[in-house]
Amino acid sequence: MRQAYDELFREGGQAVPIYFALTRNDKTAVGAAKHFLQTFLLQLVAFRRHDASLASASLSIPDLLELAPPGDYEWIERLIEMTDRARSADDARSFVRLCLSAPQRAATMGARPFILLDGLELAERLNGVDVPLGTEIAQAMMHSGGPYVLAGLRRHLLDVVFSARNGNDLATSLRLERLSDEDARTMVERLARRNEVTINDQTRDLIVQQTGGNPFYITALLRAARENQIALTSFRNCQQLYVDELMGGRINRHFTSILEEVAPSVAVRRSLIRVLYESAQNEQGRAPVETWRKRLNLEPEQFQKIIRQLHVHELASMNSNFIEAGNDSLVWSDYLRARYRLEVGAEPRALVVADTLSETLKRAPQTMARHYRREAALGLRELLERFNCQRIPASLFHYDRFSRTHKGMDTDELMAALDAETDLVRLPQVVHSASCAAFHPPMQQVCDEERCAVAHGFDAGQYSDANEVVWIAAEIESKLEAGRGVTEIWCDRLMQVARACGFNRVRLWLVAPEGFNADATELLNEREAYGSSRQQLELLTERISAASAAMARQEVAPDEFEMVIPMGDDTELIAAHTVEQIARRINFQPEAINQIKTALVEACINATEHSLSPDRKIYQRFRVESDRLVVTVSSRGVIPPGLNGQNGVNGNGSESTAENSKERRGWGLKLIRSLMDEVEFERVDDGTRLRMTKFLHKP
Amino acid sequence: MAESSTLSPVRSRSVGDLAVIYAGNYLNKLSGERIERECRRQLDAGCRALIINFHETELVNSIGVSILLGVIDAVETTGARLVFSDVNHQTVQLFEMLGLTRHVALAKDEQEALATLSEFAPTLKAVGH
Repeated sequence: MRQAYDELFREGGQAVPIYFALTRNDKTAVGAAKHFLQTFLLQLVAFRRHDASLASASLSIPDLLELAPPGDYEWIERLIEMTDRARSADDARSFVRLCLSAPQRAATMGARPFILLDGLELAERLNGVDVPLGTEIAQAMMHSGGPYVLAGLRRHLLDVVFSARNGNDLATSLRLERLSDEDARTMVERLARRNEVTINDQTRDLIVQQTGGNPFYITALLRAARENQIALTSFRNCQQLYVDELMGGRINRHFTSILEEVAPSVAVRRSLIRVLYESAQNEQGRAPVETWRKRLNLEPEQFQKIIRQLHVHELASMNSNFIEAGNDSLVWSDYLRARYRLEVGAEPRALVVADTLSETLKRAPQTMARHYRREAALGLRELLERFNCQRIPASLFHYDRFSRTHKGMDTDELMAALDAETDLVRLPQVVHSASCAAFHPPMQQVCDEERCAVAHGFDAGQYSDANEVVWIAAEIESKLEAGRGVTEIWCDRLMQVARACGFNRVRLWLVAPEGFNADATELLNEREAYGSSRQQLELLTERISAASAAMARQEVAPDEFEMVIPMGDDTELIAAHTVEQIARRINFQPEAINQIKTALVEACINATEHSLSPDRKIYQRFRVESDRLVVTVSSRGVIPPGLNGQNGVNGNGSESTAENSKERRGWGLKLIRSLMDEVEFERVDDGTRLRMTKFLHKP
Repeated sequence: MAESSTLSPVRSRSVGDLAVIYAGNYLNKLSGERIERECRRQLDAGCRALIINFHETELVNSIGVSILLGVIDAVETTGARLVFSDVNHQTVQLFEMLGLTRHVALAKDEQEALATLSEFAPTLKAVGH
């Protein structure tokens, strides 16, 4: 934010940059509002005078009035008079509002302030008037008529903006995600250079992993290294510095100040540390709200205030009637453990420091190993997320088949063999995926988070109970082909997750680097589970990428014709004549042209007869490719019964013929399938979309 | 030889107790129902054999085919005979696909249809055109 301010100031454009950060030193809402007004005027004058040094000068409000350019003088003087009156009348609320109205007043006089306001979460501490300061600030910025950025802790900020707008939230959220490992490594390197601290690749990576790439922790560590002149060239030095920071450095002060803010009373704070620590140790990591209240022994109002503060600082999350303690920060866990031992356990400080140092040193190789495992993980969750009704050779999900028919082939041969496979698995459309541990925390005990994933989806992309499916996938460790024992353990584990979470229809999928031996594949087949090797997974990933790229290409296909016809009145004939012209252009034989026409007529009739279409229109696309014609027919409305999720059988194209059924309607789909080379219903949100392909030369 | 009734847009002609009905360019629900109606009318009038001539028929849809099955049923019920003539190759394929050809004879043209019918119904033999 500050850098953005400097940049805007340097550019000297139309917008007048104003950077203001709330601080604990402001003490009250009145103090913060006065500070804001002073900062606003100071930076406005500095910008008007093109003098950056003024922005950091210490000037009183009367001084600033003297320096104000003539165009601003009048409104500034008037505003100062009004704030003085409000202050004399002891009208804190009016005073706060007047101070915060400065951007709006400047705007009415032709200025274009761009407010960058940081640390909004502190506003809650500064309340002294009827209306919360945070809400007052948000409303003032929204009424200023100019651009503004409010920054703060996300949970608090969202509440503030929501209440300022009475729910009509028009603000845009810019959420700062966690730094990637690569960015965090770069940050460590740059800070080390700037602070003249020696590091090496190993310690750099340890710092990144241990701090979770958090810029505050990284900065705190490197500043401490500079101040103490410690070279971070060994794990021992790193961890000693880290423990010093935890026990008495910036990191300690950061957490301590939060806890003091959340629970000012020493006794309550001690109870809170106990509950936070013990809850975090709980396997599920969560407990009912009532349990917390009893353990903290607080009045409801005070309890609510504390829980809300913990929630804002993301040290606990409140969901419905449960409170989940802790976050995924290793640093917070280490701090909390140390505080617990010191304050609740009353253990000697030297012992706590020594133990913490020993533990963090012992943990360092594990932390790095965990990082390496994560880097090497196959990314099951990310892969599952990309499932979107693609058709994939079934052998990629059956190690035994793959091994029997494709193992040992060179790449080209393998690709050709996969292309030639006729047994295809249609993947579901995955709508949500998360780690298994997110659904069932005990899984954390048995595998790394990224090695087991749960994906909710729908077969054929049809959103119905019958098509709902949950894929549970796990990457299991085995140097050789996985045996029956480990396979059985994993199948049982994943089924346990399914039962615990109440998943109805599940598909288990195990991935072992080298695949599965005969006994294991027999078990997988018995359990109707899929099993793949790393090679199969890589091939699957490639195929999914290729399918996605093909889908993207389809969206911008240049050789494509589109036509919309109304339903009824034999308009299908117009479509048939159109497709005839198109098919002729790519030299289809007359017989094939007639087949395409008949198929298209049937598709139009199906759409007309079954869709209950609200717009009574049939949308058609004809895509010409070098070796084929792809015709897509879609309509809005209902999905015909029997068609739901079917791509190959029955539906309204029942298998009946004149011979075996008295039901003499509903032959359309059967006919289409007979006349065209490929027929598939594509997933659409509303109605149906039928894709029919005719090849110039039958494959 | 008499041309069909002006009440029906389907063209037909009677040859003794035989009738030839001419299908249009597109056999769909509407045109199929008209053919069906004409066939029933001819049967009710005492016709013992029917020929449906598809010479002009370029396109047939599945609803049209299902209506033709209704015609086949009606003809069988009355004990009359039915032949389809002048059916183009694509339509033959369609009829085969949907099992129609197991229930009705196909003739290359109207002449052949008449000959086929006369084999089974000698009284029609003398009738020519």
